[in-house]
Amino acid sequence: MVNTLAPETTERAAHSPRSAGPAVDGRRRARRHQAVVAYLFLAPTLLFFAVFLILPLGFALLLSMSRWAGFDLDDIDPVGLDNFTGLFADGSTFLTPILTNTLLFALGTVALALAGSVVVATCINNLRFQGLWRTLYFLPIVTTVVAVGNVWKYMYEPGGLVNGVLNALGLGSVAFLQDPDTALPSVVVVQAWASVGSAILILTAGLKSIPESYYEAAALDGAGPVTVFWKITLPLLRPSLLFVCITQFLTGLQSFALIIVMTKGGPGDATNVAALEMYRQAFSYGDWGTASAAAFMLFVVVLLVTLVQLWIFRRKGEDA
Amino acid sequence: MTPSRRTGGLSRRHFALALPSALLASGCAAPHQGTGRPGDPIVLTLLSHYASGELKEALQGPVDEWNATHDRVKVRTKAVEFTDLLTTFMVRQAAGQGADIIQPYCLWNGQLVQAGVLRPAPSEHTAEITRGYGKAAVGAASVGGKVYGYPTEVQTYALYYNKRLLREAGIVGPPRTWRELEETAYRTAKRDRYGNTLVQGFGLSTYDDSTTVGQTLALLNAAGGTFVSADGRGTAIDSTAGRAVFDLEHRLVVKGASAPGINVYKAFQSGQVAMVVSAGWWTGSLKAQMGKDYRDVGVAPVPVPKADDAPATLSTGFMLGVNTASEHPREAWEFLRWLNTEKVDVKSARKGATATRMSSLQVSVGSLTGRADDMRTLLGQGSDPNLRPFLDALAYAVPEPNVPGAQQAKSLLRKNIEALWTGQQSVDEALRTTRRQVDQEVSRSW
Repeated sequence: MVNTLAPETTERAAHSPRSAGPAVDGRRRARRHQAVVAYLFLAPTLLFFAVFLILPLGFALLLSMSRWAGFDLDDIDPVGLDNFTGLFADGSTFLTPILTNTLLFALGTVALALAGSVVVATCINNLRFQGLWRTLYFLPIVTTVVAVGNVWKYMYEPGGLVNGVLNALGLGSVAFLQDPDTALPSVVVVQAWASVGSAILILTAGLKSIPESYYEAAALDGAGPVTVFWKITLPLLRPSLLFVCITQFLTGLQSFALIIVMTKGGPGDATNVAALEMYRQAFSYGDWGTASAAAFMLFVVVLLVTLVQLWIFRRKGEDA
Repeated sequence: MTPSRRTGGLSRRHFALALPSALLASGCAAPHQGTGRPGDPIVLTLLSHYASGELKEALQGPVDEWNATHDRVKVRTKAVEFTDLLTTFMVRQAAGQGADIIQPYCLWNGQLVQAGVLRPAPSEHTAEITRGYGKAAVGAASVGGKVYGYPTEVQTYALYYNKRLLREAGIVGPPRTWRELEETAYRTAKRDRYGNTLVQGFGLSTYDDSTTVGQTLALLNAAGGTFVSADGRGTAIDSTAGRAVFDLEHRLVVKGASAPGINVYKAFQSGQVAMVVSAGWWTGSLKAQMGKDYRDVGVAPVPVPKADDAPATLSTGFMLGVNTASEHPREAWEFLRWLNTEKVDVKSARKGATATRMSSLQVSVGSLTGRADDMRTLLGQGSDPNLRPFLDALAYAVPEPNVPGAQQAKSLLRKNIEALWTGQQSVDEALRTTRRQVDQEVSRSW
């Protein structure tokens, strides 16, 4: 059977007798026809990507170098790189504290969620009713951010559950969300708690894929549980860890829903992050140019962080 | 493939390819805008934030009345929640589907005028507006001296106080000066041994832009200051009045009479706040949620620095304006005139008493308009005495600044107030940073 989709080699084409011309033309026509049909079938998908990905991306790029209030498309006023320079101008809060907060928020979330999920996933892997435990830990993922944020907000409030526990232990109350020094770490804890479920799900799958023979060999050699964890479990879990690390970091860099519910970016700018600032610049202040420029800067940060993570893990011989 | 299929119009494959494209194209197409046939009535769209039950019904009443009595021009209402209102204006305007009549929060007027969304009121309507409404309401509906719409609800700020808490602290009446305010705040504040606030003497809250900034601007206006400079291109917060307000708030927080982290709206209802500055709309909520405890609630004018200072406070509000993109501006203005200035009988008041439809509508939902005569008619005998200070304030309130960039200036002020309250900045730093940031952003917006 002739595979008409396979490209014809130069050698084959060169040795084809001229008398075979009509047959070759026929095959070419058939191939062209198939290609046209293939593109026609692809057209809805390509159109979808063009409308919902390429077009918005191009529009955002245009806006990042323009001034636009968001109302009339005729009023887009090109300003070159002014929006980008404005983000880093003297007195701008974008680099500090906003971008710094964004990185700290993402880093803190990843560190806490990763550490917590490794411990919990390892424990679950050694327990009965694993499905039940995984479901319980997954519950925050299927709960709306507004509910999660508000419940934790009440728990953190002066007179709330957390301060109640502190008071019961004879300690003074802490203004978790009102003190600029504790506000960001307090939100990070909630974000980590809310995202630990998905990490556990991935890590338990990773743990299941580690061959039992390694553990048997380690047991024969007399290795203790701590050695087994550090020398076998953790290294073989690295691909899952890489995946969790990258996805959680990306989510952390772009999320602001929890922050808007819990602190609205305050007090002051203590918990303000890039995505929240972009949202405000565009939809509240009508400065779409600055918002788009900030979006591209965040994209650069996300890209750099992801590349660094990939490089670190690949140096250790693992590929996502 | 059979010959009959090849020649029989659209093949199944072609149909399969064409269908998604057709669906996508139909999805992207503009919605039906009416027949446009000669003789058919003109349909005006009105986009407001009256999305919830009571507000929606309140507006629908007069609109139904207009539609029943006018054959040539009909009005169709559309509503979104307030939090989505500005975004909806933007999206619809950019898509070429802006409503004929819009109801913006007056803070956005500068932004909307600069973006070419609001149409200036024709001279005859401007005359009616300046004649019929109070200075604060007209100021809120104007940008650069031009009137852009009919003011609807107007909120003035006053001091809410808990009579029981003041009585328990041995204080007879509400404070009239800042010194009395501070004394009352310190005497009524209570904390437990762990530092938890039991009672805030004076409620300062970081709840949102409106709460935080509203409290501060009401005090600033009471001290004779303004947030935005006379030319509208910068801030005037770094002044004697501004410093006095920041100093006062800083002292109240440092000495423990205020706990900005606590939501004052909830705490006041629970009897955990002795005094707080807020807008008139709150009386309705308090009455509904406090039940018989509402009898402990009193309202007084915002205290002034010295006893002989003239009263002043902040006012905020909404207005109804006509979109520049409207194809029927004359009809839209005519509808607004009918709704906002034509007087009709008030059933609940004495015989012969009249008020505009908008004033009746606003009072029915516990709000006020900038028409003092209507308010006196509608809030006659038997109405809540706590509304009286808000009504009186219509005469001396200062409208919230609405220059281009006002929303961002307000957010920047909130951030710096919070930084002051939480000890991140001193009074000097907060004033300086606010001035620098607001000046920079407001000048960019022009």
